[in-house]
Amino acid sequence: MAHKALSAGNLLREYETLFLVKPDVTDETVEKIKERIKTTVAKDGGKVIKFTHWGKKKTAFPVEKQARALFIHVDYLGGAKVVAEVERNLSIVEDVTKFITTKIADAIDPATREVEEDEKLVGDMDERPRVERESGAETDEHDGNDSEELQA
Amino acid sequence: MPRTEMKDAAPREARESREGSEGNRRGFGRRKVCRFCTEKNLHVDFKDAATLKSYVTERGKIIPRRINGNCAKHQREVASAIKRARMVALLPYTVLHV
Repeated sequence: MAHKALSAGNLLREYETLFLVKPDVTDETVEKIKERIKTTVAKDGGKVIKFTHWGKKKTAFPVEKQARALFIHVDYLGGAKVVAEVERNLSIVEDVTKFITTKIADAIDPATREVEEDEKLVGDMDERPRVERESGAETDEHDGNDSEELQA
Repeated sequence: MPRTEMKDAAPREARESREGSEGNRRGFGRRKVCRFCTEKNLHVDFKDAATLKSYVTERGKIIPRRINGNCAKHQREVASAIKRARMVALLPYTVLHV
């Protein structure tokens, strides 16, 4: 059914892939992985719509003996070949520890979906450098007051 | 599918209201409703670990539908979303080895 739709027009399916990268890799390596995905998607007639870097986040369980990982989400159009190729490439890259791909939509016209700018999110709160926290010293004071009240 | 649900729903409501009036309805509290059915903007998404967390126990087990009140369709979606979230370490399989 979907095959017919795909062959009828120039419609593609929309997929998303979420993958985990080791927490200690540099931004350059992440950029390289992104580039690799972009080229593989483009090679098989797909189109990358958006990369979202979720930042460094705590994982629910240790992954490769690390408690944290960089989460990167990609949204792209393509056929089954594109997904297979992207997943094959991700499994080759050693810094990528886990990945999962799901289908978002069937039969999307690539002309209607515009390429969006890459986004970078901050990640977990406890991952922010200490300096930023000290600027919000008021909250710390409040915490201190609360504990004092409790003791009293 | 929707038709049969409607059929089921109507007599159940009637029964509940009758029992309610008599004041001896089995069980406690009000009937739970599916959150994903009532809130139209809310979608099941494996990336949304914060929402999915309310559908697993402290040990990380999926909560049955008779307890969380989901409808069958959304419970299926939630269950597969939780399993996907586990694969990418957004949710735990178990808390034992942490």
